[in-house]
Order: sequence, then C-alpha cells, then structure tokens
Amino acid sequence: MKKNTLRAVVSGSAAGLINGFFGGGGGMLLVPLLSRWLGLGDRKAFATSVAVILPLCILSSVIYLFRGTVEFSAALPYLLGGGMGGILGGKLFKNVNMLWLRRGFALLILYAGVRAAFFS
Amino acid sequence: MAAFLAGLFTGILSGFGVGGGTLLLIYMTVFAGLEQPLAQGINLLYFLPTASLALPAHVKNGFIEKSVLLPAILFGLVSAALAAWIATGLDVALLHRLFGGFLLYVGVSELLRKPSSPQNDSGDRSDTPPK
Repeated sequence: MKKNTLRAVVSGSAAGLINGFFGGGGGMLLVPLLSRWLGLGDRKAFATSVAVILPLCILSSVIYLFRGTVEFSAALPYLLGGGMGGILGGKLFKNVNMLWLRRGFALLILYAGVRAAFFS
Repeated sequence: MAAFLAGLFTGILSGFGVGGGTLLLIYMTVFAGLEQPLAQGINLLYFLPTASLALPAHVKNGFIEKSVLLPAILFGLVSAALAAWIATGLDVALLHRLFGGFLLYVGVSELLRKPSSPQNDSGDRSDTPPK
C-alpha cells in the first residue's frame, strides 16, 4: 500500500470515530491531518475534508435515527438553514483568505477543546 | 427561526470545512438547551444538505483531492458505524474529554505553526504529492 493511501486510511478511520462518537468535529481532526500529514494545500485540505465527512455523516445519522437518538422533525429548521449556508459557503470559499481562515479555525479548535476537556 | 439562523450561519462555515458543526453543537447544547445525544443527531443530519450543497462548488473549483477519497471514506465508514453504534448506547463524557485534550493540542500547534505557505491558493504543495 502506498504511503499516502495508508495515511488516508488512518485519517479517514480517525475521522469516522470522532464523527460517530460526537456527531461532529471530524473535520477538526481531518483538516490538520490532510494538510500536515498528507501534504494537501490549505484549500484542498478543507474542501476534501467536507467530501470525506459527508458519507460518514450519512451513515452515522442513519444509525442515530435508527436507534431513536434523534428525530428528523427536530432537525428540520437546522437543515434548512444549513443547506442555504452550505450553498453560500461553497460559493464564497475560493475567495476566502486562508491565513485568517486557519487562524479562526485554530481559535475555534482551542475553544472547543477547552470546553470538551474541562466542561463536558 | 433562531434554529434556522443558527443553521444558516454555521452552514457557511461548514461549507468551508471549518467546524461549523462544532459551533452548532455548542449553540444547541448551551443556548437552545438540547440534550447532548439529540444535539449530536441533529448535527449529523444538518451536515447532509449543508455539505451536499457546498460540494459542487468545491468540485468545480478543483479543490477536492480525489486520491484521498476512496481509502479515507471506505475505512471511515467502518469506524463511523462502530462509533455511532457505541455512542448511541453509552455515556461518552470521558471520550469527549479526551477529544478535548486532542483539540487543545491541535489548536496550540496550529497557532504556533509557522505560516510557511499561508496563501497556498492552488491547493497543491509540490513537495509531497498525494499517492
């Protein structure tokens, strides 16, 4: 197996674990792995992370629905807003300043980390 | 309406690939008062239209590294299924703390990292081509 294929396997597996356990946050793990470990450029790391996480979310959400943890009706307003936001995000992405995006990303990770580590 | 707006705002970030879901989870559990498992389930569902509608633009702009997709998704699906099954029947507070520790590490190292190629707009880094 080629080195980067192996790294993609490990990265994807790790993202899947986080995605399934916490219902999100897989991208926080995957973006740094894709950019630093697999050597993807910044924009590719972020965009490719979305493409990898989507199928994982499909499977995880089916399991959450099946196990009765969530009902579709409760999620509907978030889905509508999220869908519109997704369209905007996709269109705006090529014009986003990656340096500031990375810095915002780091701060968000730190905030989420403090919350998860000390207040969960 | 608040839920819609929260979804809209975090959806833009999710479309970028930067922790919109994490922000939404925080909104739902802290501000909307939802239980953690329910919030997680909503967050997963929320990502489906959000990512689906953001992806066409990413593909069109050539920002998707295709060689990564198959191995990462294939193995990711297996571990996601396993983790989701366990998480829906378990208190994952301890795991969450561990993940928090990991995030702290990534966040600090991300901030300390030298911006060697901060404007890497082409999306390619020539030294280590994938595959």
